[in-house]
Amino acid sequence: MKDSKSDTIDFGYKQVAKNEKQSLVANVFNSVAQKYDIMNDVMSFGIHRIWKRYTIDCSGVRTGMKVLDIAGGTGDLTAQFSRRVGPTGEVVLADINQAMLDVGRDKLRNKGIVGNVDYVQANAEDLPFEDERFDIITIAFGLRNVTDKQKALESMFRVLKPGGRLLVLEFSKPVPPMLSQAYDFYSFNVLPKMGQLVAGDAESYQYLAESIRMHPDQDTLKSMMEQAGYERVTYDNLTGGIVALHRGFKF
Amino acid sequence: MLWTVLPMQALEGLVNHLMHLDPETPARLQKLNGRRVRVSLKELGKPFTVTVTETGLVLSWIDDGSVDCHIVTELAVLPELRDSANITRLIKADKLDIEGDPMLAQQLSKLLSDLDIDWPEQLSQRIGDVPAQVLVNAFERGRARLKTFQTDSQQWLGDVLVEEKQVLAAREQFIQFQNDLQALRAQLDKLERHLQEQRN
Repeated sequence: MKDSKSDTIDFGYKQVAKNEKQSLVANVFNSVAQKYDIMNDVMSFGIHRIWKRYTIDCSGVRTGMKVLDIAGGTGDLTAQFSRRVGPTGEVVLADINQAMLDVGRDKLRNKGIVGNVDYVQANAEDLPFEDERFDIITIAFGLRNVTDKQKALESMFRVLKPGGRLLVLEFSKPVPPMLSQAYDFYSFNVLPKMGQLVAGDAESYQYLAESIRMHPDQDTLKSMMEQAGYERVTYDNLTGGIVALHRGFKF
Repeated sequence: MLWTVLPMQALEGLVNHLMHLDPETPARLQKLNGRRVRVSLKELGKPFTVTVTETGLVLSWIDDGSVDCHIVTELAVLPELRDSANITRLIKADKLDIEGDPMLAQQLSKLLSDLDIDWPEQLSQRIGDVPAQVLVNAFERGRARLKTFQTDSQQWLGDVLVEEKQVLAAREQFIQFQNDLQALRAQLDKLERHLQEQRN
């Protein structure tokens, strides 16, 4: 993470100009969009589904609520939220990347999930919604790719209703040392090769591994959320801290 | 408690699949839509939450949001809850605590117990009418035969033990034997008394 006043920002391990990161991330996701779901399953051995389900169970979602799924990509969370809010509720699937949004929209429509889902191409740093609109906001495996994370957290705070909650599901720092070593080996040696094999794109997955290392750890993200105005911020380490779920409320 | 997610999801999938085999299910779900019940079993520690949605049930061991009905009890008490007459007694004995709407839990269990799945129909949709009919007939015949076999073997075993091997006595014989024994004991008493008198 870089000082917000500096002109450069991390893109994986590289430093790039701030205004460049967005298009570089877009390139990555344009390249992986079609194979995104299958790669998620292959890379995480299917565990990403469990992490996502855990997030939904923690969200406190009820019939009739309005939910914003930022960086919702191919719509895994949106699909489950849609079922739970029912026809009186609303789920907005937002993603900065049109290619990912298209894949998500096709997938959800094919599953018969229509009626209470909207699709919006939006930048998390500057969300195009009125203030205090949503009961729940989730961002799963997306915050890491945002150029200015603090600004994004503040933008989410603005569109969240008082009493609403934000859930950030993101890769984090594994806690047990043994797990950390095994995880590093897996990320830098196995992951890019798997990316090459399944999606034909090693570089994007190299970026994925690097961007995870550059993402703030559990406590840093917690303090960033508190700085953005969220209260009662807590986090749960999932699978030894490979992933962490941060929760914060707006009162 | 991340590990609970997978078994719960599997159970949820199974329950919802079974529920949707009954065409009446959507109407029943609609009546309870949005209602939430939590069950805390002392043996399990963490409470278990059931949410009714329009499309099925959602089961979770992680969800800690507010609910409409919270039941705190023990595993052993669960079968007794079927009869609502027991509820007051169990509450008094500190074996059961209900917060919120007690009827809701019963409505929810009724949702599952009222499930009426037309198995022959389900089977015929999957393997075709004729094979399904053959299978269902075979199953019914098998069940009837099993029942006859059970009754026959009970009868046969009784006959073998009583008549052939004479290991056990028939009921009439046993009563006769009891009566004879009684009479013999009375005779013996009489004889003893008689002997006593002679000696004196």
